[in-house]
Amino acid sequence: MSFDFAVILARGPQILAGLGVTILIWIAGTLLAAALGFLVATARRFGGRFVDLALSLPVEILRGTPFLVQIFLLYFGGPYIGLRLDPIPAGLIGLSVYGAAYYAEIFRAGYQSVPTGHVEAAACAGFSRGQTIRFILLPEMALLVLPPAMNMAVILLKETALLSLITVPEMTMTVSAIGSQQYAFVESLVVLALVYWALVELANLLGRLAERRLSTFGTP
Amino acid sequence: MTWTLFELLLQASLMTILVSAVSILAGLAIAIVLSAMRMSGNAALKGFAVVFISFFRGVPLLVQLLLIFNLLPSLGITLPSLATALIGLSLCTAAYQAENLRGGFEGVAPGLIESAEMAGFTRAQSFFWIRTPIALRMTFPALVNEAILILKASSLVSVVGLIELTKMAQNLAASTYQPLPIFASAGLIYLAINVVVAFLGRRAERALPGLPSA
Amino acid sequence: MTDPAIRIATLSKKFGDTLVLRDISLEVPRGQVTCLIGPSGSGKSTLLRCMAFLEEPTSGSIEIEGEPLGFTGTGSARRRQSPAELRRVRGKIGMVFQQFNLWPHMTALGNVSAALRRVRGLPRAEAEARGMAQLDKVGLKERAGHYPAQLSGGQQQRVAIARALALDPTIMLFDEPTSALDPELTGEVLTVMRALADEGMTMVVVTHEIGFAASVAHTVCFLDHGRLLFHDTPEKVFAAPREPRLEQFLDTYLDRGAQMLR
Ligand SMILES: Nc1ncnc2c1ncn2[C@@H]1O[C@H](COP(=O)(O)OP(=O)(O)OP(=O)(O)O)[C@@H](O)[C@H]1O
Ligand SMILES: [Mg+2]
Repeated sequence: MSFDFAVILARGPQILAGLGVTILIWIAGTLLAAALGFLVATARRFGGRFVDLALSLPVEILRGTPFLVQIFLLYFGGPYIGLRLDPIPAGLIGLSVYGAAYYAEIFRAGYQSVPTGHVEAAACAGFSRGQTIRFILLPEMALLVLPPAMNMAVILLKETALLSLITVPEMTMTVSAIGSQQYAFVESLVVLALVYWALVELANLLGRLAERRLSTFGTP
Repeated sequence: MTWTLFELLLQASLMTILVSAVSILAGLAIAIVLSAMRMSGNAALKGFAVVFISFFRGVPLLVQLLLIFNLLPSLGITLPSLATALIGLSLCTAAYQAENLRGGFEGVAPGLIESAEMAGFTRAQSFFWIRTPIALRMTFPALVNEAILILKASSLVSVVGLIELTKMAQNLAASTYQPLPIFASAGLIYLAINVVVAFLGRRAERALPGLPSA
Repeated sequence: MTDPAIRIATLSKKFGDTLVLRDISLEVPRGQVTCLIGPSGSGKSTLLRCMAFLEEPTSGSIEIEGEPLGFTGTGSARRRQSPAELRRVRGKIGMVFQQFNLWPHMTALGNVSAALRRVRGLPRAEAEARGMAQLDKVGLKERAGHYPAQLSGGQQQRVAIARALALDPTIMLFDEPTSALDPELTGEVLTVMRALADEGMTMVVVTHEIGFAASVAHTVCFLDHGRLLFHDTPEKVFAAPREPRLEQFLDTYLDRGAQMLR
């Protein structure tokens, strides 16, 4: 048996298109997830006991079930309740909602790490709640939140591969399709693995750089 | 959605539990070996462990599973889908567990290793009897967490043809045209298993001997 | 057998460029208690750790009951001992650390019997019986099933002593065994050590407990800046300190025991 990588690499433009979809969905999904997660954590922090409890339920459900089941439910089950989505929007929504649950926990831990005295001091100084979040809480928790937030972004990058199973034309779907057309499935998967590996290591590197950059601000 | 369908999902969830449990334990054993390699003085062993851990943490599990599923037959090895699933999940979780254990091994106070040395333990004996149990004890919460992650990740082994909870749900959804209740039920079963695992993990954590603060 | 328990000859130790022990020669006689005293940073721990080859001497040699430890041969023929050979010679030495260093995942009995089972290969029942006897000796038989985190500092240190004794060493090394303890717990550990000395165990003890040194030691060694300035009987060292450095040190560390001797 011999492996022929040329037939895969000859389809470079197609692979790049798939890579483009992967990166776009990943970045958009991660930003949406972080934003939504931040809103949830903020609502839980300031919304009183009932809001806190009510929001803990979806967060725990999303964190306790596989992402694959979630997107199957959304994509295949959605139409039965009138939620008919194309693969790409379904994938983007699925990734954002799934990621949001984890980001909500990350930001919650961040809020908890700031001593209440600092918030009280801000209130005494006449800061509004929004100003307190923006000028006191966010900067104080940034250093603590950044590593798990970057880590989660890398996890979401790997999760985008599952979107191929609901026919999002991202990299895994594109490259494995090329592989089966060319009867070079193993080769296509090797290429795929190497590209993901490089992307993940690159993302890890960026994360470490960001951490170093932030830690030089010298948050105590 | 009938009780019969739900029962089928419950039965399939036994396969999910089996695959996850075996993978976690096999992955733990491999992770300990990887840790020993990474801490050894031998550059080749060390390099292998570092690359292994980076690769299996850097590639989506779906791609790993597809790769193993297709690579083995082209090398002339044919395995049942259960074996393929176990190999894929074990190697993947081994890499994550090795990374979790790293902090544990680094946290073993040098004095504990010196006292093993003074008691006549060889390096290998000290690794096996002293360093590894202490590292495991320190990283036990991470192990419970990893078990939950693997339970969820095991949903992917449906792509290598193993009929576990997710694959059963897919099959039933396709044949009954009731994807909504069926995937929702599958999700609930995963959630229930994870709640139990987390609960047992917390119980075990409390039952294990504590670590002195000194 | 005329060899001393430990013979240290022209031993020096460097950490990087700093010379921590300078040209130390010392013989520790069998069946006697030798105390090492000296200011913080003077090299006491390093010297004691060299006696167990937990630190590698930069030059000089150490013999345990006439057998070289760590290195064999001299000059250009000097070679590292094989791990097995090192373990064999080290088998005569028991060590007790300032931080106890009990293995946290084993009970007291587990700590005391682990090496008997895993290293000496004794069956579990026999290893545990011997471990139990050692725990009894340090007064902790009824704590055998406790984990280190469930024991007080003084109890942990007594378990650590029992763990070392379980391997039948002929020499016991102690590095400030009571300095990590609350004052009210030092007594129980010192009592165990006194009993051990009375049995004729060869002991080398790094300590700031001048009272213990004055009453138990046969020889007191005074280290300062890595040099062995002085070694003599406790009476001579404490009653009539001739060295100004020693006098200065004693003024700082003197406790009631030594004051009475003076
Ligand atoms: N591993 C090491 N690396 C570098 N320097 C060291 C190391 N261990 C000890 N030293 C230095 O060697 C010197 C002697 O240290 P040592 O621990 O032997 O002193 P000591 O007399 O036991 O002091 P103390 O009473 O505080 O325990 C000190 O200056 C110390 O900083
Ligand atoms: Mg010391």
